[in-house]
Amino acid sequence: MKTVQWLVLCLAFLTMFSACSEPSSSESQSSETNLSNRKKITLTLWYWNRSIDDELLAQAEKQFPNIELKTQKIGGDFKAKLKTTLAARSGEPDIVALNDWMVELFPSADRFYDLRELGADRLKDQYLEWKWNQGITPDGKMIAFPMDTGPTALFYRSDLFAQAGLPSEPEKVSASIRTWDDYMAAGEQLQQKFGSRSFLADNIVNVYNQVLAQHTNLYFKPDGSYIGNQSPDIRLGWKTAVDFHKKHLLANADGWTPEWNASVNNGKIASFVGAIWMKQVLTEAAPDTAGKWRVARAPGGDGNLGGSFISILKSSKHPKEAFEVLTWLQNPEHQLEAYHKIGLFPSTPGVYDDPIMETPEPFFGGQATGLIFATSARHVKSSYFGERYPVIHGIVTRRLANVAKQDANPDALWTETMDRIERELQR
Amino acid sequence: MLREIWKHRVVYAAISPFYLLFGIFGLFPIGFSLYLAFHKWDGIGDMTYNGWGNFRYLVTDNEFWQAVGNTFVIWVYATIPMLFFALIIAFLLYAPFVKMRTLWRVGFFLPNVTSIVAVAIIFGALFANNFGFLNYLLQLLGLPMVQWLNVPWGIQIAISSMVVWRWMGYNAIIYLAGLQSIPHVLYEAAKIDGATGAQAFFRITIPMLRPVILFTVITSTIGGMQLFTEPQVLVGNDGGSGASGMTIVLYLYRESFINNYFGYGAAVGWGMFLIIALFSIINWKLVQGKK
Repeated sequence: MKTVQWLVLCLAFLTMFSACSEPSSSESQSSETNLSNRKKITLTLWYWNRSIDDELLAQAEKQFPNIELKTQKIGGDFKAKLKTTLAARSGEPDIVALNDWMVELFPSADRFYDLRELGADRLKDQYLEWKWNQGITPDGKMIAFPMDTGPTALFYRSDLFAQAGLPSEPEKVSASIRTWDDYMAAGEQLQQKFGSRSFLADNIVNVYNQVLAQHTNLYFKPDGSYIGNQSPDIRLGWKTAVDFHKKHLLANADGWTPEWNASVNNGKIASFVGAIWMKQVLTEAAPDTAGKWRVARAPGGDGNLGGSFISILKSSKHPKEAFEVLTWLQNPEHQLEAYHKIGLFPSTPGVYDDPIMETPEPFFGGQATGLIFATSARHVKSSYFGERYPVIHGIVTRRLANVAKQDANPDALWTETMDRIERELQR
Repeated sequence: MLREIWKHRVVYAAISPFYLLFGIFGLFPIGFSLYLAFHKWDGIGDMTYNGWGNFRYLVTDNEFWQAVGNTFVIWVYATIPMLFFALIIAFLLYAPFVKMRTLWRVGFFLPNVTSIVAVAIIFGALFANNFGFLNYLLQLLGLPMVQWLNVPWGIQIAISSMVVWRWMGYNAIIYLAGLQSIPHVLYEAAKIDGATGAQAFFRITIPMLRPVILFTVITSTIGGMQLFTEPQVLVGNDGGSGASGMTIVLYLYRESFINNYFGYGAAVGWGMFLIIALFSIINWKLVQGKK
């Protein structure tokens, strides 16, 4: 009897293990094929949808016959997936695309190759200097290579501006709305005409973000010291944003919500300052307003919001080849192509004079908006973020949102915010 | 003892897969999170020992206590109407005069298997501030619009209504099973004695259902304390305007995976464990109560 029980059990385990071991047999097959052309190395690349042109990745196979490029489009929360992979120290890709949150990875710079050691410096003058510097840690390690950028500009409804008696041609708007105060004055004129049917800007947090995008003294200095409580730029951002609220110039529609989409589509939002990637967001959200939007220079100066980077992980066994692939993918010619195909704005100023930048865009009434963004991108100033930027910025913007949404007292909230940050920095 | 185990080794071997899997996926994470709660860790670099630091921070953390408060409020808003309506639905599903009962049962259970993300998107459209369906209805009735997702109670009601929508049918099916286990003779006897329907419901149905009600209260307490997806999808990682939709688990998630304080996140988890344990005991005492 006992033996029968054992037999049944063994059989059960056997079937379990044989089911598990199946993949390994196919693995041995693939290693056989690797033997036949043994020079071919495998590189894994992680990116998210629309961060790299898929066709370009397909071409890479031809460009590098000795490399098998395994591209993996990572969906969902890319950052969380990358971080858990880094924490697990297994299954890491060779090359990885990073968004502007890559500053959070600065404390873990030793998990990435210093791209300067791989020879990045000889390419430096092809890229925007401020963008290039963002990928370098305070102690001089370059862990992230420039992909696209997010120069900012003013998106506005030319028809609504004209009805309110404001200038409506991009050149005239750029010339007459130069500062945030000019912009607010335009908003008050708009308000007189439309009342609460149409507002100058979308939401308070966006105003704050846009002011910060134009300035250089943010929350931290490169030596790591906190300056947010005394930085004039932070104060200016807070004050400007609060003023917008006090003058009732905001539609109070949060970004990335159906509410925002509806508001741009039905004219409740007459303008907003945004990065170039808002072009696509706007085009998809507001099909009914096609042809009525224009782009002018941003009030308050040129700035940058967002944009991506690309890195090589230290775990990669083929950093030289990975660097070759990476620089090929992001060379000026391919960045221009990516702009043309999927709207990623190049970080290589050499291509800003290309005729492609002058392509008229029907959604923007035939305006060639590329020229505006190119000028903006050239004039962005280098600013330092620091690895705790996302946390601190989150604390400030959450409280700022309360000013607009729950009519909280901005002065009391400013003090509370500064205390909260103080506490945050101590942990 | 060991000899006993060796004697029954076949039996132990047969049940071993559960314990192996539990050890790997259950016991290890619990132990690791306890270890983590006493450390600082950004998720990638080295861990540094932090003693009771995380817990000291926890008890003085206003945002954590706000999250605890929010979770309780949402739990009250959701659980009481949910269990009340579930009981009524179960009673109706059991009633002999209802036709096509299987269809109704499936219909009420269906929300429970719907993708929560899809649900949150629909509820987001219902409760939207300016172009939401509820505000459209209010306007039709000539009533003022409500900034649902700006005011604290609006956010909390929106989240609660998602919970009610999703779990009401589930609890109704459990109540239905409870109802079916009550012997018919009791009702027949009551009828002979001249009891009304209401009397039968309150004197027979409710007392006989007590253990089932206790079960649903405890499960919905634990579920309510662990509320995460609904607020996360509806109002985002920061809990929406004024952090009114910030629940304990959402706070844990944000501190760990957004702000990279993994040690602190683990401490929040243990804080939550204590609260749930305490709360379950109180609930149990209250519902079982006067017997």
